[in-house]
Amino acid sequence: MGTLGRTRPTTLACGEVRTCLLPTSQALDLRAAGHVLRLRADERVLASERPNLYALSPDTLMGVDCALPASNGAKVRAVGTVVARAALTEGRVLQAGSFFRVPDTGPDQRQPWGHYLVRPGVVEPLGKLPAQAVAEGLLKGGRPGELDPGLIAEGLLTRLLRHPLLDQKSPFKSRRTRLRWVALPVPDGHGPSIDFTVAEDDLRTVRLGIPEGTDQTAVVRLCEDLALHDWLLTTLVRMLDGSRFGSADGPMAVLALRPAVDHLMHLWMPRARVDRKLSALWEALEERPGFSRQWHTLVQRIRDQMALQAIPLLREALTAR
Amino acid sequence: MTDAVFRETAAEPLTRSLPLSHLSLELGHLYMEDFEGGPERLRRHFESVKPWAEAARADATARAGGKRPRISTCFLIDDYFTRFSTPAEVVPVLLAEAERAGLVIDYLARESGCAVADKVPLAESVAGRLVESPPPGSYGLRPPVGQTGWLANGVRTPALRAQAMRRSGAWQPPQETAAHRHSVFLDVELWDDKDGHRTWSCPFLAAVWQLTRLGLLRNEGEPVFVARAHSSGGFPSEWDQLAPLLQLNATAAPFNAYRTCSVLPSRFLPVEHAVRIILDQTEVDAGALRQVAERSDREGVAVPDSVADRASYVFYPGW
Amino acid sequence: MLVFAASDKGGTGRSVTSANLAYQRALAGDDVCYVDFDFGSPTAAAVFDVPGELGIDEGGLHTYLEAGTGEPARVDIWAHTLHPVLRNRPNGSGRLVLLPGDASGGEFATDQDTLRRCVDLLLRLNSEFDVIIVDLSAGRSYAMDMVLEATAQPELRSVEARWLVFHRWTRQHVLAASGLVFGEHGILNGAAAGLHDKDTLRQSIRFVRAAVPDPESALWSQVSPAQSVWMQRCDDYLRQLASDRKIGDSVVLGTVPLEPVLQWREQLITEEDVLSTQIANKETLEALEELARKLTDDAHWGQP
Repeated sequence: MGTLGRTRPTTLACGEVRTCLLPTSQALDLRAAGHVLRLRADERVLASERPNLYALSPDTLMGVDCALPASNGAKVRAVGTVVARAALTEGRVLQAGSFFRVPDTGPDQRQPWGHYLVRPGVVEPLGKLPAQAVAEGLLKGGRPGELDPGLIAEGLLTRLLRHPLLDQKSPFKSRRTRLRWVALPVPDGHGPSIDFTVAEDDLRTVRLGIPEGTDQTAVVRLCEDLALHDWLLTTLVRMLDGSRFGSADGPMAVLALRPAVDHLMHLWMPRARVDRKLSALWEALEERPGFSRQWHTLVQRIRDQMALQAIPLLREALTAR
Repeated sequence: MTDAVFRETAAEPLTRSLPLSHLSLELGHLYMEDFEGGPERLRRHFESVKPWAEAARADATARAGGKRPRISTCFLIDDYFTRFSTPAEVVPVLLAEAERAGLVIDYLARESGCAVADKVPLAESVAGRLVESPPPGSYGLRPPVGQTGWLANGVRTPALRAQAMRRSGAWQPPQETAAHRHSVFLDVELWDDKDGHRTWSCPFLAAVWQLTRLGLLRNEGEPVFVARAHSSGGFPSEWDQLAPLLQLNATAAPFNAYRTCSVLPSRFLPVEHAVRIILDQTEVDAGALRQVAERSDREGVAVPDSVADRASYVFYPGW
Repeated sequence: MLVFAASDKGGTGRSVTSANLAYQRALAGDDVCYVDFDFGSPTAAAVFDVPGELGIDEGGLHTYLEAGTGEPARVDIWAHTLHPVLRNRPNGSGRLVLLPGDASGGEFATDQDTLRRCVDLLLRLNSEFDVIIVDLSAGRSYAMDMVLEATAQPELRSVEARWLVFHRWTRQHVLAASGLVFGEHGILNGAAAGLHDKDTLRQSIRFVRAAVPDPESALWSQVSPAQSVWMQRCDDYLRQLASDRKIGDSVVLGTVPLEPVLQWREQLITEEDVLSTQIANKETLEALEELARKLTDDAHWGQP
């Protein structure tokens, strides 16, 4: 690579992914997904059919010039561009994410804008970066006026949700989740690490330790994959929680779960597009808290209930013979 | 562990590279009124351009570090805002007058090609790549959509919107973001929409023109605004039948270049100031940007990071 | 489903009744959102007994619509109410969320940008909630113009929208409510309404008679025969007037009796208020429950 856009080594990467159900009655096929995610006329939407239908928008940029949140109250002004992009899985689950990385130091003064535009996705501090404090600050969320990657993800999501191809007739009501992440480098010789926290109702925070030289897009994809599966799990849990499952009005409750069967149950496919070097992090989450274990238990419960509800029908059919 | 490789071509981006000159030297823009001024007006234009074109060549030679620089020349004809005459009538006169002044036009471009070239909506693509320079205090909130179709080099005077029982503030001046103490604020109209039809502004198309010359645009990874060789015959009687970019000189250096220089009469100054504001806030194709950087690095040619800084101008006195 | 609560005059009990409807729908298991578009007086928090009786300090609906924040603040009522009964969220109930206005906010003129934001907000809420109750300022307000225009946008056209027009049971109120809907500058004839199909819009409007004294009620059992006859005559007259003004029984979704608790304290009426403390009338609670049932029951909507 030439001298262009050369920046100091990254000490911190950060982003937020917002995940929601696509508001359409039917899942979109790849072609329609391509229309919705075409954020730029001259760049293709990347489409993939294996192992599941997946479409990824081109990257777009948004300029920022503001303070970075810092847990120790340090005032760090930073200037640069944040990447925003969106992905659609199986034409059903829409994700809008934003991310950027921060070098350990930057020029003392704001540079001409062209300097930042050739460093897409880099936000440079004016001066030195207190990486740990800023990582904490970003995870906790800043005060108004401090850099908020969530706002940028939200802006993109809002823009996508008004696309004319969406009929706004969701098969069921559901909530969005937000997954906020930071990645810091781990010392040489250490493997990657992960700390996944269910922070509030809709907020998840992920703190990653990433070996030097890991491709940033791999980290972003990992976080998008985590966000997708956490959303699936959260949504299914809420559907079961809200239903009067196992109560007297069993048949009605089972009927209410039908959207889960139609639209969600086939979507579970962790690590489908996660870089091999980082898939150990998924393994760790499978160990504790056991994402797939919980998912499969819930799915089994739904299937059992559906089967149970079918028995009277079966009996009816048999006695009628 | 077995290393299986699975690829889907639709799932991977790719940017095709282009041959590059050191300098793309623009010998002028032709508007209807210029042509209506007759061959004499063209003659005066090329006579004025000549010394500056030579100066630009000398400068490029100095920058090439002693090696002979690759320089291509080009000329832009406006067929977008007004349609006049025919290529068969205009182009031969143009070429003759250039030749009389001792200038060679390697590539001839049509301005409407900067809007749509070979069915690729270049202007629309560039509009989708604008990334506004954030004034201090920009923390990620999406800006109000009120100014769609305009691009400024700073913060506009805030609109005075009143809430009941709340006093609206006093007038505030606009502010240039990169101002040195005092502002030179400029707000550029990029296009207008009338009756469902979008007309791109002259500065916006001129910015697209600069970006194509710099080889920094692609369409789905493929080159755009590609030159077509001129067959030895004459020129068509319709502008639309003329290629958006026509290579007139078979031995010319590549059209795209590390830097551009445009020699224009001084009346173009405001337009080119606007062009600079657009270039300064356009995120060009990342793959193309990288390829240019790698190539220039190998050649030992310094190319500025900032895209706007890759364009230079000579404004000669005149109208 | 979007539900717009409108009234021509103040003092119709629009806010308190629609807040009670939100509460009742949540009890029935719906996820409900209450949006305070009463920009001139954002006081919904008081009805739900959540802190910030006059709107919240920053980041409310005013700030959101004026592009000052990406998302308006939300208050989870079950979690933040000071109301002793509401704090114990009943099993099987849905979410109950308030989007408050800003404490310092006032009425404000809207433009294309606020309209855009309004549409985005309603789309967002629609994907998340079963019922979204939007409380509008009284009269032909900016808020009403904005939502009329918003619901006519292509993105929102397929989203079910229902209108509740609240009025008291008096001559002036009947005339005013009819004017609000059918008048020259009414909902059906307004500039923004030009964007809507008039018949469809008309079919989505129902009236709620609030603070109606029931001559049969025990409350009036002590009145003299003369008074009783007079009351009956007034009631008949108002029925005739309402019918003449196209707001007769066929387009009435429900009637809420005159209720001191609603008039004086503007609060949610719980079962507790009726059964234990007995400060509220059983009829009032039943009326609210019925109204909440009909609100989402398609049988009561469509061709009147």
